[in-house]
Amino acid sequence: MYDAAQPCAPLALDGVWLTLPSAAGPVEILRGLDFTVAPGERVAVVGPSGSGKSTLIAIAAGLERPTKGQVRLLGQELSRLNEDGRARLRRGRVSLVFQSFHLLPNMTAEENVAAPLEIAGARGAGRTAREWLDRVGLAARRTHYPHQLSGGEQQRVALARALATRPVLLFADEPTGNLDQANAHHVADLIFALAAESGAALVLVTHDEALAARADRVVRMAGGRVEA
Amino acid sequence: MNLPLSFRFAARELRSGVRGFRIFLACLALGVAAIAAAGSTAEAFRQGLASQASEILGGDLAVTRQSKEFTPAERATLERLGRVSYAAASRAMAEAPNGNRRLVELRGVSDDYPLEGQVTLAGGMRLAAALQPQGDAAGVVVEQALLDRLGLKLGDRFLVGNVPVVARAVLLGEPDRLSRGFNLGPAVLTRLSTVQSGGFLGEGIPFGETARIALKPGVSLRAARHAVTAALPAATFHIRDRNDAAPGFKRLVDQLEYFLGFIGLASLIAGGLGVSGAVGAYLDARRPSIATLKALGADGALVRNVYLIQISLLAGLGILIGVVVGGLAPLGLGALVKDQLPVPALFALYPWPLAKAALFGLLAAAAFSLAPLGQARATPPAALFRQDLAGRLRFGPELIGALLAAMGLAALAIITAPTPISAEVMIAGVAVAFLALFAIGLGAAKIAGALRALTAGPVRIGLANLAGPHSAARTASPAIGLGIGLLAVVVLVQSSLIAEVTVTAPKAAPAMVFTEIPGDQAGAFDAAVAQAFGRPLAPKDYQRFAFATGRITAVKGVPIEQAHIAPQGRFAFDNDISLSAIATQPADASITAGQWWPATYAGPPLVALDQDAAEAARLKVGDTVSLSILGRDMDARIAVLRKVDIGAFGPSFTLVIDPAALAGADLRQLAIAKATPAEEARVTRTLGASFPQVDVISVREQLQAASQLFERLTLAVRGAAAVAGLAGLLVLAGAIAAGARARAKEAATLKVLGAARWQILAAYGIEYGAVGAVAGLAGVALGAAAAWPVVVKVFEATWSVDWAGVAALIGAAAAITGAGGLIAALYALSQRPAPVLRAE
Repeated sequence: MYDAAQPCAPLALDGVWLTLPSAAGPVEILRGLDFTVAPGERVAVVGPSGSGKSTLIAIAAGLERPTKGQVRLLGQELSRLNEDGRARLRRGRVSLVFQSFHLLPNMTAEENVAAPLEIAGARGAGRTAREWLDRVGLAARRTHYPHQLSGGEQQRVALARALATRPVLLFADEPTGNLDQANAHHVADLIFALAAESGAALVLVTHDEALAARADRVVRMAGGRVEA
Repeated sequence: MNLPLSFRFAARELRSGVRGFRIFLACLALGVAAIAAAGSTAEAFRQGLASQASEILGGDLAVTRQSKEFTPAERATLERLGRVSYAAASRAMAEAPNGNRRLVELRGVSDDYPLEGQVTLAGGMRLAAALQPQGDAAGVVVEQALLDRLGLKLGDRFLVGNVPVVARAVLLGEPDRLSRGFNLGPAVLTRLSTVQSGGFLGEGIPFGETARIALKPGVSLRAARHAVTAALPAATFHIRDRNDAAPGFKRLVDQLEYFLGFIGLASLIAGGLGVSGAVGAYLDARRPSIATLKALGADGALVRNVYLIQISLLAGLGILIGVVVGGLAPLGLGALVKDQLPVPALFALYPWPLAKAALFGLLAAAAFSLAPLGQARATPPAALFRQDLAGRLRFGPELIGALLAAMGLAALAIITAPTPISAEVMIAGVAVAFLALFAIGLGAAKIAGALRALTAGPVRIGLANLAGPHSAARTASPAIGLGIGLLAVVVLVQSSLIAEVTVTAPKAAPAMVFTEIPGDQAGAFDAAVAQAFGRPLAPKDYQRFAFATGRITAVKGVPIEQAHIAPQGRFAFDNDISLSAIATQPADASITAGQWWPATYAGPPLVALDQDAAEAARLKVGDTVSLSILGRDMDARIAVLRKVDIGAFGPSFTLVIDPAALAGADLRQLAIAKATPAEEARVTRTLGASFPQVDVISVREQLQAASQLFERLTLAVRGAAAVAGLAGLLVLAGAIAAGARARAKEAATLKVLGAARWQILAAYGIEYGAVGAVAGLAGVALGAAAAWPVVVKVFEATWSVDWAGVAALIGAAAAITGAGGLIAALYALSQRPAPVLRAE
């Protein structure tokens, strides 16, 4: 079991390859990727479209299996776990924020934030969800459904959902990509502030160099590899 | 497994309503309603029958004897058991003063008839008053058909046999009509004494006397049966009680329930594609939510349970709707037609048929929903990043559950069928047809894909859609094809049977049958017929045989009551059978085993037996049957097995015996003739003078009556089969609805590219019209494959295709599905392109 107090890397990718079949033949998305994140470290991943940034998150969070190579998440080698095992590993400790929010459409803002806590079997999920909605400035919108919220509000709900479980590791995939400038600033501030406050390591995929510059370290990707 | 959490998430998911599940609900409700309605209607008839069993039988117990009246001692035994009413039934020719003649079913009843229920006469006259003699004429009540046929009115005198009678009232109903058999002519009811004194019950004349007994209080059916069996000579009588008042009708109800229930089951299976499609489309739309839940840490079981709970609740709702509709529909229908039904029916809500329908629905829902559910469970969370990722169906609990539910569905259908073997054949047929239609749909999609390169414009768009991943050829086509297939079976079987009775049988069968020809006047009878026809008689249109009725009382020494005889052959063992004594092998004997006896044979009795009857009792050449013929009991060895075609022109007797076995008996003769309607009218009239005792049966009339019955049934049976067609349409509607959004986007894109409205309409019309045409053609082909053995092997009729009906089916399938495509296109065209494209 991973102990966040230990100085061991919460995430380590070693020689990861991902090749996907396509009608035109196999496509290599990742080509021998090495990537490590230290506890509490904030890492920005930048690179051109198609360089494999989002795939890095999918592989690192255990949402996708690599064709080759090793992925250690919270001290566990992911290739030894099946899909349900990887879901249990993420439960309450690894969170994701997506460019297109991926809120559950039939749940209110509060229920969306409570959902991962409920799945993890945490007590007082509703109360915690309300507290986090308050922290992202959406206390008044807790009974609203995703389609009743603006893009910025939806992303703040998604952020509250990601952090409500106090994760060890937070993945954010272009979290401001679908937002206007004002909302993008607000959400970015929240991500860095709340991640720092909870001590979570952050892997932030972005096209925005200014946003990337706020991270402790910037990793550049091209052609499925980390640039030297 | 966290069930409370699964329920909580499921409840949240259901907030979006049941919009995507309307077709799911409709498909399930339709199939369940059809099965529930079939079961409830059948139960209403069964309960009606049970509630009026004593009236239908005419008492608690009915004892019938053929060709012999009860002796005074036997009557005394019967009367010790309770009140007894006697009725003697015979056939005779009725003759009007104008010379018109008609075979009638004559019944003479004792004064206390009926013990139970009422005889209904037009005008409300009482039976006893109507049967009062008028001068030297006996009072009779008759069916209207006889008055019409003979040109008589009430109060007119006419002859029945040689007995003058007067028609006093029109007979509308007899309480025990249902418990009696098939009629060859209109009924004439009179006093028992008239029948006894009129010479209708003489030796050698086929008649039956029935004693109906209302048992004294305290006398059980079992005790009464025992007393009757002990007092009357064995194998000379039939005994029935109120629990078995109308066995033929009971079998008919069982078969009717199964036929209608089978259509309901076929609808459930056809609609199953709609169920599966609706669940698949719903879960497909939920793919991002499922992937999100997994990204949040939910395992596959939680995801599966969340959606299983939702689908179970909706399935429960669909089943409930079906049960309510199927339970209430017969009540409503019953209220409307109760007075016009020829049989008693107690329409009510019966729990078992409804529970059975619900169980069918539950198993169908599971069989068709669990596979897409398994696929949803396997949705990878990476679908959040790559929209093309979908779960792959793997062997797991959902697939096992679906297979078990499908097997349960088949098992339930077989267990609840009156004849398991026919259920097995029908279910196997539906399964094979379904798979074949599915394969044809796939093939059609592939062919469309290959052909599109050769085309352009709307045709190309239509073919591309037909070949595409959401092709209706794969989804709606098998369901529509199954519906069309069932309708085709019904249309083709009915058209063949109607052709059989209207075209084939009149050519092959005799037009007339003459019975009760005195053996010593056979030559004179032949001459009289030849004179009436005005031409010499030839074997191709006139044949005469010695004739008697008798019973097979034991096979291989085992009494019939204890022998194992298959249902399809019981007709030859449970009743008196027609038999003949023929010395020389007839030209058309159709021998399948053994050898006919020499013309001069005079040894131990030999018989030629109908092969179907022999097979039912597992008899072969060399085996022994015990017979009771004209009061003689004898054992006979089977020398010949032969194929007897009852409708053919020839010696169509179930049993033929060597003449020496009946030596000395005064055998009557039976003749068959082919005749034009004019010859038939002439011979019927002239025989009234020379051979009044000869009964003339018009086969032509019987065939016409059968034809009219088929015609009347046609609409009802086709209407029932159309339920399966409706299921196919629901699946089509589901496929159209599921693709509506994609169609709107496609239409918007085509509009942006400059396509005109007519081009888009034409493309969709071509696509869906092709789906309908493929489904129609495949359905008709499979329907024909299923109907052919039914017509040729089961009914032994000539295969005759109703081309107009077949063309109508295919045309309707193409037209309706094409219209569905046009509706889809109109919907897509009604959407403004900009918002549609922006939404993507």
